[in-house]
Amino acid sequence: MISPEVAAFLEAGQSIYIGTCDRALRPEGARAIAATVDEGRASLTLYVPQVAVHRVLPNLEATGQAAVVFARPSDDHAYQVKGTFMSARPAEARERAVVEAQWKGFQQNLDIIGVSHRLVERWPHWPCMAVRLQVTALFNQTPGPGAGASVA
Amino acid sequence: MSLGLEALASSFQGLIPAVLFTASREGIPNAAYISHVEYVDSAHVALSFQFFNKSRKNIAENPQAAVHLIDPDTQQGYVLHLRYVRSDTSGPVFERMALRIEAIASYCGLKGIFKLLAADIYEVVSLEKSAEEPACDETLAVVRRQAADPLFTMKALQDLSERVRSAGSLEQLLDSILAGLEEVFGFTHSMILLAGEEPNTLVMIASRGYPEAGAGAEVRMGEGIVGMVAEARKPIRIAGLIREMLYALAVRKRAQEAGQQRIDARIALPGMANPESQLGVPLVVRGELIGVLCIESEIQYRFHEEDKTSIEMLGTYLALAIQNMQLHERADAADAAEASAAAAPADTRREAAATAHAVAFYPKEECIMVDGEYLIRSLPARILWKLLTTRERDGRHEFTNRELRLDKSLNLPEWKDNLETRLLLLRRRLEQKCPDIRIAPRGRGRFALEVSAGVTLTEHA
Repeated sequence: MISPEVAAFLEAGQSIYIGTCDRALRPEGARAIAATVDEGRASLTLYVPQVAVHRVLPNLEATGQAAVVFARPSDDHAYQVKGTFMSARPAEARERAVVEAQWKGFQQNLDIIGVSHRLVERWPHWPCMAVRLQVTALFNQTPGPGAGASVA
Repeated sequence: MSLGLEALASSFQGLIPAVLFTASREGIPNAAYISHVEYVDSAHVALSFQFFNKSRKNIAENPQAAVHLIDPDTQQGYVLHLRYVRSDTSGPVFERMALRIEAIASYCGLKGIFKLLAADIYEVVSLEKSAEEPACDETLAVVRRQAADPLFTMKALQDLSERVRSAGSLEQLLDSILAGLEEVFGFTHSMILLAGEEPNTLVMIASRGYPEAGAGAEVRMGEGIVGMVAEARKPIRIAGLIREMLYALAVRKRAQEAGQQRIDARIALPGMANPESQLGVPLVVRGELIGVLCIESEIQYRFHEEDKTSIEMLGTYLALAIQNMQLHERADAADAAEASAAAAPADTRREAAATAHAVAFYPKEECIMVDGEYLIRSLPARILWKLLTTRERDGRHEFTNRELRLDKSLNLPEWKDNLETRLLLLRRRLEQKCPDIRIAPRGRGRFALEVSAGVTLTEHA
């Protein structure tokens, strides 16, 4: 489902947001800190800070639907993953290194565009909930006339 | 809403793209970045609609949305829950957003692709801070926020209006205002362009803070921020130019991949090599565009909403003052004694033997080259050639504005020739490029051509 190239992009420390909605179709989103593409590249695990997960987890449990946008701040290259909710659990200590590495990658990306990484130092990036999604579709979301094109 | 939308003023600058969450009628969510969220009033915001996409389709099916915004000063995140109200394709909100987007498009050669289709107006149902994006340490934020308090702004404008009042000439007026912008507001890089001789062009007449003064540089209507301001006759403020250009360039790449349209060459930025913030205001008097005042900074989000209001107000005074000064100088020149020029002593010709300049005039192109380098074109070029050839032929070095006005060969427009402005432009251009040839004012409506080097004149057919 997800090519190795796209998987590498998703795991490189991007700006990540997960979008959900409740049964009344009221959208709700939250920032995620990191993502790992699972073996087989048909599902992924998203790391959402504990402080924010309350906004999206009830919706995931109620509707099972999610949209996750990954954007690289330095050039706005972006993908959107659509997925269905599989599970959620507190992230384990062994996963922290991956989360920290992607968080650092995101900060470096900010430095490239002249936004000091120090400005986001206070953003909580641990502990996280590990939210697992089955990938149902992948779209190129880079802004422009072709935004939203399906990625085979 | 316990938190007011007004508190998010900094977040509405497009410095950090916002994320829009929507959902289809089947309950499939969508998350996408959008370039601009604009403040409309205390209960509404406008989102930029630039491309037909899934978000737009979802909104047509389900008017509920959520937006995440980041304050560029503090990095505080905000969550806004919205309900779609309508799409504006005209009116002040649409025009404000469209101008800013078009200014970016102009820099990136994306006119026609990177444009605003509509300003989608949403009611803000709720607003809260996002817990996962708390504000940075205050000591870091303070460095970036220099919003002026009202008292400071009033005093600053008072200072600038005093400069307007006390200026004795157009040159003094322009230089004094640019100096004032630096001394009073701390805006170190600024420029004033006045309406050019050719229609739909502006010519740089005064600048401050740049290594190259750039007198005589021309900008066409619609080009870059200056041209956009001139075309629309409305102020434009860009908070994070590089950031916004990145977004636009991502669009450009997509458009190229799609083979949608040939992309024009990118227009070189005037002024700073890497401006981050720009603010341009039109100088308009009774519907007539006099020029544009443009301020730049290498700092992101340097110009706040308060600055825009103050500079817009200054622009109103300045436009009137420039027009008055142009009329005054013209009237002064008409009154000046013509006889003084006729009786002017012969040129002392104190040329330094060591230096000699080759001055070439190309009548077809109406352009003057000095030592093989471009100096100036159009009316200032015709004037300089007239002065240099008269000096060589008759030995005269003093002239009056009036005789230039009466000289049919110069082909001055009968109505509003702006001769004094063109002379100022010529003087500045010479100071920059060939200081051995000088236009020196000699009182009301008179000036001298001072030449302190050898000069050879060649007219090319």
